[in-house]
Amino acid sequence: MNGRSQAAQRIWRARHPRSRGDRLFVAYAVLMVLLIAIAPVVRAVWFSATSAVGVALFASSAASGVAVLITAVLWSGALLLGRDRGPALLPPFLIHALGTSDLPRSVVLRGPVLRAGALVTATTTCAAALVAGSLASHGLTGALGLGVFVLTGVVVGIVTTVAWLAGQALPRLALPIALGVIVLGVVAALVPAAQPFTPWGWVGVAYPGRGSTPPVIGLVALAAGSIAVAPPLLNGLRVAELIAQATRWESASTFAASLDLSTAAALYQAHPHLGRRLRAVRPARPLWARFLIRDAVGAIRTPGRLIAGVLALAAAGTLLTLALTPAAPGCLLGALAGLLAFAGLGPLTDGIRHAASVASDLPLYGIGDEHLLANHALFPLAVVVVVLLAAAAICAIVIGVTALAPVLSSFALGLLALLARVGNALKGPMPPALLTPVPTPAGDVAAAARVAWSLDGVLLATAAGASAALTVGSPYPLIATAAFLVSIGVHRWRHRR
Amino acid sequence: MIPGGDSIGIVIEMDDVGVVANGVTLLAPVSVTTSAGEALVVRGRNGTGKSTLLRVLAGIRTPSRGTVRVAGEAVAERDRGFRRRVSAMIGLPPMAADLTVLDHVTLVATTWLDDANEAAGLARSVIAELGLDALVERFPHELSSGQTQLFGLAVVLARPFEVLILDEPEQRLDPEHVEAVVRVLQARRDAGATLAIATHSAVLADRMADQTLSLDTAA
Repeated sequence: MNGRSQAAQRIWRARHPRSRGDRLFVAYAVLMVLLIAIAPVVRAVWFSATSAVGVALFASSAASGVAVLITAVLWSGALLLGRDRGPALLPPFLIHALGTSDLPRSVVLRGPVLRAGALVTATTTCAAALVAGSLASHGLTGALGLGVFVLTGVVVGIVTTVAWLAGQALPRLALPIALGVIVLGVVAALVPAAQPFTPWGWVGVAYPGRGSTPPVIGLVALAAGSIAVAPPLLNGLRVAELIAQATRWESASTFAASLDLSTAAALYQAHPHLGRRLRAVRPARPLWARFLIRDAVGAIRTPGRLIAGVLALAAAGTLLTLALTPAAPGCLLGALAGLLAFAGLGPLTDGIRHAASVASDLPLYGIGDEHLLANHALFPLAVVVVVLLAAAAICAIVIGVTALAPVLSSFALGLLALLARVGNALKGPMPPALLTPVPTPAGDVAAAARVAWSLDGVLLATAAGASAALTVGSPYPLIATAAFLVSIGVHRWRHRR
Repeated sequence: MIPGGDSIGIVIEMDDVGVVANGVTLLAPVSVTTSAGEALVVRGRNGTGKSTLLRVLAGIRTPSRGTVRVAGEAVAERDRGFRRRVSAMIGLPPMAADLTVLDHVTLVATTWLDDANEAAGLARSVIAELGLDALVERFPHELSSGQTQLFGLAVVLARPFEVLILDEPEQRLDPEHVEAVVRVLQARRDAGATLAIATHSAVLADRMADQTLSLDTAA
């Protein structure tokens, strides 16, 4: 790194010098987190991956196609993410000081990109090692297959990092390229013969146990080419956009650190630019239709968000149907379906958030708060019911199971995920009781309560998904989750001001 | 349409109203009465309780002492009749990121008026009065701070009311737009509405005040 850049960053880091004792405490805290929180999770994941169900999943005929699809989604997602938050980021002032100097940006921003790349590459490498290790532990692949797939994980990580950087440097090109990667990724996943001709397809070719010649040279060349384009991409970054990204990230980090996740997420919500001439408000329609149309037009004005939301709901319906099939890890797939249903409802519930905001403020509309909230719930309710049920029914027909249970479970999940969204919108500030420390030998457990409070919508939707996957066996978990969601919603409604 | 109050009756009655929170006086005790078609202008230095007084009047802050009545009734923000009577802007109203300026104002109007044409007409006329015609297709994030202030005013004016409560409506506005706001408020007052306005603007106070309540002296 250039000496001037190093000197500037040294001054920046010296703002809050840590004593030796502080550094030792940080090391101790990291070690404790690794031992208490991370290690058990890693152990559980390894045992799950090497269990009979895990190995059957990784050894299935569809596994290599899924790996191709995941790679394509990862690379296109990285491209899109870079448009809002790229890997080349420093604190706003440091970006300003270094970005407006004559230092090359490939030098100034190398550090954060290398750190982000190391994290991404470590993650993809571990994921690849987990899959290959699981198969090797049952003798389904040899040392060579394992080694090649771990190498593939490294390459996927490097390419993901550079795609992330490319999205930051070329935000306008990122969207069409990402769409192209997704489309071709789906093709490569469905047509194995096409896999040798695409970089994401090489992941499928290198998948352990397939018996095909691994494209090692192609993978190494891909990694080398990606690394080679990184400096020009860094030098092409514009300082105004870098400062805008850095400022937004700093604000979001501050909100997230105070567990105000809704505000943090709202900073990254897309602003509408399209459809301003569409008539969102039709005064002559009945009140319910007026709000239904208003919310539908509002959602259409950010089409990317709307499409992402609908796709997430469709994926939720599909996963829940798969969760209900025999021998499937129902609880896990159901929980994932709940998570996706909650995420998918985000872009559809702007009206509910607005209604909650109005309900806690001065009266604005000529209808009561309850009426306003109910009217704003119509649009997400309609979409979630139609999309979830359609996805569940189609998936049931495709895999050849009866559609009744998936459709009913999806309906229940849709309602509960919507309830979770309403509860989230009405949340308000953190109850002061949660701010009281509860010291125990394992630390302050009130911190866990605060995190649970800030994530309760996600956690309850996830629980709703897992419960919905278990309804065939027992309806009680679903009923308990529903009762909890309703009680939270009613409590928050009563204390909204 | 702005239904006027009783032209000879008292609309706002505050008797010995004060607010204390955690031992800190937010509003020293004040008493004031305002009749229909009058404008009460509240003045005072920062921190003397202007916004707190308006919050009490709007029913979103319970006074620690004294009584407040609007049109002879106790203030009760959850009461539909009270909500119909009182329109207030204390800070900007909540805005929907996915609606344009025209959408917002029309939607609010349609929730107050049964006649769709009347609602659309009221929305258009309020927008025109505040000089927002050129901005009707903009989304909230595309407005300047002054335009956002005018937009907020349009949202609270696009409905019937008997009492209008405004906290520093001149905020972020240039002198030309302060004049426009004065004209709009004078029209509401002349039509019979009772106004309660907290302001730091001498222009707004001089042009609007039928009576002035100075919280500097109350404090």
